[in-house]
Amino acid sequence: MSSTASAFHTTASSLTSRQRVELALAHEEADRVPLDLGGGLVTGMHVSSVYKLRQALGLDSPGTPVKVVEPYQMLGEIGPDLMDALGVDVVGVGRPTNAYGFRNDGWKPWSAFGGVPLLVPGEFPIDPEPNGEILMYPCADRSAPPCARMPKAGFYFDAIVRQDPIDDEHLDVADNLEEFGPISDEAIDHIRAEVERVLPTGRAILGDFGGTGFGDIAFVPGPTLRHPKGIRDLEQWYMSYVTRPQYIYDVFDRQCEIGIANLARIHAAIGDAITAVFVTGTDFGAQHAPLISPKTYRTLFKPFHVRVNEWIHANTGWKTFIHSCGSIWRLLDDIVGAGFDALNPVQTSAAEMDPVRLKQTYGDRISFWGGGIDTQRALPFGTPEEIRAMVHERMRIFGRGGGFVFNTIHNVQAEVPVENLLALYRAVDEFRPYPIAGGS
Amino acid sequence: MGTLEQLRDAIVEGQAADAVAEMKRGLDEDIPVQTLLDDGLMVAMHRVGQLFEEGEIYVPEMLVSSHAMTAALEVLRPSIVEQGVRSSGRVAIGTVKGDLHDIGKNLVAMMLQGSGFEIDDLGADVYPERFVQAIRDGAEVIGMSALLTTTMTNMREVVEAIGDAGLRDRVAIVVGGAPITQVYADEIGADGYARDASKAVRLVQEVLGRLKATDGRGATTH
Repeated sequence: MSSTASAFHTTASSLTSRQRVELALAHEEADRVPLDLGGGLVTGMHVSSVYKLRQALGLDSPGTPVKVVEPYQMLGEIGPDLMDALGVDVVGVGRPTNAYGFRNDGWKPWSAFGGVPLLVPGEFPIDPEPNGEILMYPCADRSAPPCARMPKAGFYFDAIVRQDPIDDEHLDVADNLEEFGPISDEAIDHIRAEVERVLPTGRAILGDFGGTGFGDIAFVPGPTLRHPKGIRDLEQWYMSYVTRPQYIYDVFDRQCEIGIANLARIHAAIGDAITAVFVTGTDFGAQHAPLISPKTYRTLFKPFHVRVNEWIHANTGWKTFIHSCGSIWRLLDDIVGAGFDALNPVQTSAAEMDPVRLKQTYGDRISFWGGGIDTQRALPFGTPEEIRAMVHERMRIFGRGGGFVFNTIHNVQAEVPVENLLALYRAVDEFRPYPIAGGS
Repeated sequence: MGTLEQLRDAIVEGQAADAVAEMKRGLDEDIPVQTLLDDGLMVAMHRVGQLFEEGEIYVPEMLVSSHAMTAALEVLRPSIVEQGVRSSGRVAIGTVKGDLHDIGKNLVAMMLQGSGFEIDDLGADVYPERFVQAIRDGAEVIGMSALLTTTMTNMREVVEAIGDAGLRDRVAIVVGGAPITQVYADEIGADGYARDASKAVRLVQEVLGRLKATDGRGATTH
């Protein structure tokens, strides 16, 4: 461990990170609450914030660029030195291609977000349009229509919807399944190599292999497809839950078959080397209420969540991970009942998501992988003292009896004051040891 | 069951084809345009908003109803123009600079439309000067949306730009979106905040009422 690392992460331990996360997910108190930063594509940090944090920790000399490891949300690399400095326990392993279907390699320099030095994949488009926006192309194929844009004043990409006229008489589920197919040997080899690279570090691995997120609105527009067919418009997609439920069910049904077959192949290649698997990132909650009714969850989503969870639990040692933003209290009986092991991001800033009630009601059946700090108000706009108090509160509430992996509520966004980032991880280091100080 | 009742039911149930058919029937039966608007579309959308607030329906159902209402409104539009039916007010609405998220904004726009407002949809990634221009074009209410903590701060720029242009007392400003709160709305000097599309309609009615009470110019400036 470097001398910088000791600034935050001071406690020696006989446990590996992997053991720590496994104990937490088994609802036991380890030596300290495990910490995730960047293990998943919704548990990371915007590259501009990673840059500021690395500079503040003295990990880099000024001007040292940070890699963009996830171009959609422009997430920065959480490298081993940063992990050591903060005491991060989780590493993500996924497919060789990113959300836009090209590989994260052939790195080239770029500067954005007010002059932050970055490294982006070779296929990443860095030349802005005349209006200042950056257009992304599916699989970096510039002969296809663009699939996403980052506005000049924006911090990451959003989908460009490409929707052919919908002909209800001739809808074919295959059209909405083009992006879901058998995983390639190349991808399997990549996953195996990544797992073998991480295993000796003793860190816990969160696998994110794609394909089992049903109706994830980030991917419904088909960002890797040159010419998406079927239903790709976001409003049309949401409306289809009401107007075309059988079509949606049939898409999910087939997607589920393909997804489980892929998980079987991946498990055959890597066995139980990963601790948990990212099953779904579909958002079911808005700020003040669920996005969909409990009945819609029960009829369209739950059957497939049950099927995936049951297969994983029957055939692997993996724990299952669900991400859903927003207010989902009204859906949680069913979500927990579907057999997930870990819930993320636990958006306590949304309606009805009271941390104490969540822990009391579901804490013995599901682990909370998130809920550590509010990223809508406290982290970007609060004071370091408020941040410290909230981290302490969340450690006490969620950490009791295990079942807690500390993580910010979704990715840390851009424009967060660096003193707040430092206050966050200083407080995590202070309050994560078991028994957690300050009573229950 | 009467045509108006069937029109309302079709909208609440989200049956676009039925809503269109009932609207055509209403016109054939010479039901006054104002009645089709007030007792048909507006009552139906009010009911949809109520069901949403009561947790009886959610975003997909609300979208389906809004699209049914919009389809029926399109049938009625030529008659509205022909008869010079006055709108409840003109609202320019957009997602602020740097932000492309527009499902919530679109839903608010449709709900307002169903409540008799004329909508100038400015789209997403809308710069302050575009909002200012919309006021010059006749907007009495500015509606701003943001999903992100990194873009919500651009709402303040819009409020300031409107002030700098000397137009602040001519317009009511309302804000919404996931990270927005009443506290934030007050802080940036907006006239109101609504947490969802249904509440947004009531808010716009309120702020416009206040604007007209304090300033005689109101709805007739365009």
